[in-house]
Amino acid sequence: MDAARKGIVALPFEVLKRALLQPETSSLLMFSVLFGITAILQENFFEAKSIVRTINSFAPLILLAMGQAIVIISGGIDLSSGAALSLFTCVLTTVMKKDDPVTGVYALILAFLVALGTGVVNGLGIGYLRIPPVIVTFATSYAWLGIALFLRPTPGGESVPWFRVFYNMRAVEGVPEVLKSLGNYVPPALLLIAGACVLWYVVSRTRTGRYIYAVGSNIESAYVSGINTGKTQMLACVLNAILIFLAALFFVGQNQTGDARMGGPLTLRSIAAVVVGGIALSGGRGSVYLAIVGALILGFVGRIIFFANVPNAYQTLVSGIIVIAAIAGPAYATLRRELR
Amino acid sequence: MVVLEARGIRKHFGGVVALSDGNLCCRQGRITGLLGANGSGKSTMSKIIAGVYKPDGGEIWYKGRLVHYRNPSEAKRDGIALVFQNLSLVPDLTVWQNVVLGMEKSRGIFLDNQEAKQIARDILSKLLPGLDITRKVYELSPGEMQIVEVAKAIAEKPQLLILDEPTAALEHAQVKSLFAYMRALAQSGVAIVFTSHRLWEVMEICDDVTIFRNGATVAYIDFDREEKDPETIIGHITGEVVRPLLAERTFGEGSESREILLRARIRSRVKSLRDVSLELARGEILGIGGLAGQGQNELLYALAGSFPGVQCEVEMGGKKIILRRPQDAIQNGILLVPGDRQKEGLFLEHSVYSNMVFPKFGLPRHPVVIPEKKYRRECEDVVRLLSIKVSGLDAPVSTLSGGNQQKVVVGKWLSFNVKVFLLADPAKGVDIGAKKDLYEYIRRLARERGIGVILYASDHEELAQYADRVLIMYEGSIVAELTGEGISEEAITAASVQVR
Repeated sequence: MDAARKGIVALPFEVLKRALLQPETSSLLMFSVLFGITAILQENFFEAKSIVRTINSFAPLILLAMGQAIVIISGGIDLSSGAALSLFTCVLTTVMKKDDPVTGVYALILAFLVALGTGVVNGLGIGYLRIPPVIVTFATSYAWLGIALFLRPTPGGESVPWFRVFYNMRAVEGVPEVLKSLGNYVPPALLLIAGACVLWYVVSRTRTGRYIYAVGSNIESAYVSGINTGKTQMLACVLNAILIFLAALFFVGQNQTGDARMGGPLTLRSIAAVVVGGIALSGGRGSVYLAIVGALILGFVGRIIFFANVPNAYQTLVSGIIVIAAIAGPAYATLRRELR
Repeated sequence: MVVLEARGIRKHFGGVVALSDGNLCCRQGRITGLLGANGSGKSTMSKIIAGVYKPDGGEIWYKGRLVHYRNPSEAKRDGIALVFQNLSLVPDLTVWQNVVLGMEKSRGIFLDNQEAKQIARDILSKLLPGLDITRKVYELSPGEMQIVEVAKAIAEKPQLLILDEPTAALEHAQVKSLFAYMRALAQSGVAIVFTSHRLWEVMEICDDVTIFRNGATVAYIDFDREEKDPETIIGHITGEVVRPLLAERTFGEGSESREILLRARIRSRVKSLRDVSLELARGEILGIGGLAGQGQNELLYALAGSFPGVQCEVEMGGKKIILRRPQDAIQNGILLVPGDRQKEGLFLEHSVYSNMVFPKFGLPRHPVVIPEKKYRRECEDVVRLLSIKVSGLDAPVSTLSGGNQQKVVVGKWLSFNVKVFLLADPAKGVDIGAKKDLYEYIRRLARERGIGVILYASDHEELAQYADRVLIMYEGSIVAELTGEGISEEAITAASVQVR
């Protein structure tokens, strides 16, 4: 009787305690807080136009962070994702000719193949040659940058007009009215992110998805369980490359140019987004969707600094402090688990 | 019907020969015991059959076919399943996901999770009723993990099932239900290979045994035709004429000359350990007993200053010390030999030499430049003293056999000014011969150098044999104390279970 009663009383408390110790709890809390602050500071935050603008400015980082999350969960890390993004924009804008709409299709196909290629090369190094991921992707980041600079030494290039559908459907002639009005509320960037989510949703319910977690959690155990660990890590890299490719579509749609250096800073930001989202850098743990939360947190930090009128000189410092606070939560939860 | 026959298998790692002439024969519906000291090659043999290692020589015939497996999945496809001693589970997946790992079935493009859960539930309801299959594996106890490991192998419906020390982490009742399941499997026609250090288990469950010594098969005994005689088997394992097993007991000095070396008071804020206080005399071996997982390990960690959430205050030689970090304990001569040598006691990929010198860097007055020559000489002495089988000081510890690894863990503390030795199940997974060496050595240390030893052993026989005093733990508290003539295996076991 006594034990039973104690059990009932203890239960909600235990559940709460358990929930608080999950890395994602603190990420979601952090997200809600920053979301609230931004909404208060930015007066027109909830206006349709403003929401679209917010999504557009966060989209590339969200896509890159999701790809990064897949690689990190599989036990790797990708230091080349920003360079790959730049490379894809350069390939797209080099193939496309402004006046010939059909070159847009060629560009799409070629850039997609290049994307698969970058994923395969990273995957070969990490999964089959078993070189530490940091080294593989650090090396390939220079390779991608080199090729991108060869194609496009200075920012520029051409883009077919219809490529704007990836940024703003209203800007393109010939798009049905229905889609245009849809584009007012559901911007293409959101569709790209949704596409990425659907892609991961499907993959995560197949063998590959399960194996990505298994390999990242304990590669030895996965190997002796008969899992092809090399292939699994390769597939993780290829999925990452596809998501980077989606980000490249958005970027070219937005700017109509290619830029060999635009992606660089996004690499470390994507890794930071993954960590802030509560995904373990050691692999095997956390949900890919949390990377979206992480990317949003980083994005809101920038917003808050801007709208709170933080003096220029302190902006970087303040954003650094907020990011540290955001990382501390998941890190503490992970630490607690390890000490258990 | 012979399912598998391995002949003249050879294998070496680096300079260490693991197998020189391994032979094994498994028959349908029979349970074959694989016996041998640690480092005798039985683990290597299991792994070669299951395709984890490639043999350097010899041949393996499986169902009348000469086979060369390049990886575990090839062997698995042919129906050979290995239950690993060092667990093959993925910690971040759930129990049922682990049970079907590597053999998931799909329905359409998605995985069929319902069927997978059903498979896991069916097997585990017999092996370990009451286990929640949706729990993540990292939340399980070692015993539960081991059982999930067995379930995973069984889920593959193997024709040859190799169980490499599955019982080491299990409790008595769990062993019993595992044996019942193994019997049923054998009756359905599965050939089973079973290894264990506990002789009685082998005697109970096996139909025949194959014995390994120093990398070669030295004996094959069929229990249908020959008698189950433990003495003969031990003789084959050790290669010596059997001495009476129970070593002569020596008790600590009489109570009048008892000099208290250490008084410890532990205040705990965690569930697994309560407030505990104890005393240890010079030269005394204090045994800690009880059922597995009643806070014994936690107690030792607390005394070593490496258990967060616990405040440990010790009094040594009139000085009060609060142990906050492992360094506090080491600098005061309190040294811990952890139980899980692979996880906690060693840097597996580092050399024997660097493993042995690491603790020295924590000394209060360590020279800025490492005195390599002096340290190497000391290491060589330790290797010789404990007769550690190794190709050289620079060989990675991972190339050593389990028993020899354990000797390195103990050995690295020998050149220290040790006052208190904390041993957490030091002989777990160490074979009979090496176990005896180890304990004799520890006892000599205690008696000659006046070191106090706190020994936790899951095997009550070891406690009965070597401890001067035994404390029984239950749910984190000390519930009984046995001294002098009152110490016996039966008494310890009785005290462990009576506390309910």
